[in-house]
Amino acid sequence: MSARERFRALLTRLAGASAAERVLISGASLGLAMLVGTVLILLAGRTTTCTPASATYYLGVGFCYDPVVVYDRLFLGALGDPLSAGWSPRNTQFGVTLRETTVLIFTGLSVAVAFRAGIFNIGTQGQLVVGGLLTALGVFAASRVVPTSLEAVLLIPLGLVLGALGGGIYGTIPGLLKAYADANEVITTIMLNFVATGVALYLVSDVFKDPGSQANQTRSIPELATFQPVVFDSAADFSVVALLLGLLTVLGCYVLIERTAFGYDLRTSGLQPDAAEYGGVNARRTIVTSMALSGALGGIAGAVYVLMVLGKFQTGLPAYGFDGITVSILAGNNPLGIAFAALLFGILKSGTIVVQFATDIPPQLVGVLRGLIILFVAMPEFFRLVGRRLSPGNPREGVGAARTPDVAGRESAGGDSTDE
Amino acid sequence: MSELGARVGSLTTRARTALVIGVGAVGLLVAGLVAPASAAGTLVDIVLREATLSSALRLSVPITLAALGGILSEKAGVINIGLEGLLIIAAFAAIYVADLTGGVWTGFLGGVLAATVLAALFGVVVIEFRADQIIAGLAVWLIALGLAPFASQVIYGGPNSPSVTTPGSLTTPVLSELPVAGALFDASPTVYLMFLAVGVTWYLLNRTRFGRWVQASGERPEALDTAGISVSRVRYGAIVLSGVLSGMGGAALSLDLGQFTGTGPTMVNGKGFIAIVAYLFGNYNPIGAFLATLLFGGLDAIQTALQLQNVGIPNPLIRVIPFVTVIVVLALVGRTRIPAAAGDQYESGEK
Repeated sequence: MSARERFRALLTRLAGASAAERVLISGASLGLAMLVGTVLILLAGRTTTCTPASATYYLGVGFCYDPVVVYDRLFLGALGDPLSAGWSPRNTQFGVTLRETTVLIFTGLSVAVAFRAGIFNIGTQGQLVVGGLLTALGVFAASRVVPTSLEAVLLIPLGLVLGALGGGIYGTIPGLLKAYADANEVITTIMLNFVATGVALYLVSDVFKDPGSQANQTRSIPELATFQPVVFDSAADFSVVALLLGLLTVLGCYVLIERTAFGYDLRTSGLQPDAAEYGGVNARRTIVTSMALSGALGGIAGAVYVLMVLGKFQTGLPAYGFDGITVSILAGNNPLGIAFAALLFGILKSGTIVVQFATDIPPQLVGVLRGLIILFVAMPEFFRLVGRRLSPGNPREGVGAARTPDVAGRESAGGDSTDE
Repeated sequence: MSELGARVGSLTTRARTALVIGVGAVGLLVAGLVAPASAAGTLVDIVLREATLSSALRLSVPITLAALGGILSEKAGVINIGLEGLLIIAAFAAIYVADLTGGVWTGFLGGVLAATVLAALFGVVVIEFRADQIIAGLAVWLIALGLAPFASQVIYGGPNSPSVTTPGSLTTPVLSELPVAGALFDASPTVYLMFLAVGVTWYLLNRTRFGRWVQASGERPEALDTAGISVSRVRYGAIVLSGVLSGMGGAALSLDLGQFTGTGPTMVNGKGFIAIVAYLFGNYNPIGAFLATLLFGGLDAIQTALQLQNVGIPNPLIRVIPFVTVIVVLALVGRTRIPAAAGDQYESGEK
């Protein structure tokens, strides 16, 4: 075997290993985050006070919070207790889980598209706010001219388009700033999140405020212009139609990134910006278009949230944009993986509500878990080290394993774009 | 005149940005003095108030200290985007320890310790386990963003802590009576600590052997390695110092107010990210970073005063001003020459 053939063989082996390895690393990260979370729950349970009767005892030591109960509620609760008798997959809590999953699919894809192009879009949250606000305002305005019989047919697509437009334009701003002024997108997108929240607060509390409500919210859009609950009851605020739309978008993004010329440009810009430019890719245009696309997906997430859950725009939207970062990183920025990662995070988010009812543990716990998962996924080398320690393989394999991080790490990091 | 134009043209973007800001400020000052009743007049009235300078200084403390930490870390080749998280964790820990022990300065040390531990953890993750620096930094931020309100909820039953005593202020007699500049002589001890830290960091970077190692570690790590100095150890040192400095910033932030607020983005509210922009604008120079921070701190002080003034702009929009300024400055400064090896892993050949 010539050196070149051997090199090629090594590459194929690494490419094959890296997909399976990713799944393994993501799973291990989740497990490890939960382990740290357990320690945290126990520690918190020692710090706070409760009656001796309500405490749980491990090895003779009393804890106010029981990690077993917390995780049981978090995971089984989110699915509506599948282990108990009379369980039906159509239960309300599982509907809530799928509702969260649906929004997270869009924010996850938003982050992933940018990531694959080598751009850290931390601004999905802001794009979601802008998209959602535009959807709520536009659909409300249009509902006054559109006849009632056509509302469902016309207004839902209009809302989605407006959301995509709002988010897309808002995402294009940091794209342009990066492409033409070399402004670091991590900082600009985070700043634009603050700007979006502030401006939305002003518009919703001042200009477009619903006069009939104390809360900072816009006027409700007509019932018919929202996603109707099918399969699940209306208490879950979940529509299977929106989930299907999300899954279609997953497929669309997969095809776009992996199978088209634009996707090829996008991926090479992410992996090897210099080589891509040498190969004739217009780097600036790729940055701007991928940020526009990423922002549009974030905007659609906002539109879906407005059309499916709120029926209007409110200030203080949940942090789906930040969860999208975790979803994307957990999925290795692969569109297909995002469907699964979004479901996992949908469970975590929906389970948080169940946990709040069942225990006194502060809901911020899930925020900590989110950070821990990102941290662990970011350090594949840690797991390789542990793996090597556990299995005394031959030295050649050790070398092969040590080389993988360059490939895997680069892919998840989106190359050297942050060197700016 | 054309000569002046040519000279301005030859300036760096950074200098040009500073010039534009300077000219704008002078123009505003003149307009305000000529027409005191106008919006510019109100603005100048606010800017010239002693209270504005003193709150600008107070607001600058956490940002400056975090920026100093960011400079050290990035100069050594590790982009520390988790400064925000370090500030958050220190802000909470300082209040917690102060509340526990009753001592303001023990609380301060507690905050510094918490941020240093978190920074060291970040160091292990990026150096030992070669994690991507940006993602690990984001993780530090998100962990702190969850952990501090979580702890506050567990300990105090809510995201906001109860009040503790503040360090108060140090007043120099006579000098503090000066108009406007008197604010410099009647300020919280943390303000003087910030001035001290700026000087010490500048000295450390430019006049000591450790400073030279730090610079080499970020520019030419292989050269440092050849010289027999461990790149990893220099980077660990720099990251730990960035934790100490950010910890001082976070502790100063919460102790000066006597409370930790953990709702939404917490009381830190983006200051860690503004710190990054400040040192980019200040071109990695501790003094430049401080001046840039004073600009942002000043804007923040002005927007707070404007909110009370009722100038016809709604408050949510006024609050957005500092963030917009950061974006504009970043866009104008743009291409900063970052240390050559920043963001890269360094693997010693001897491993």
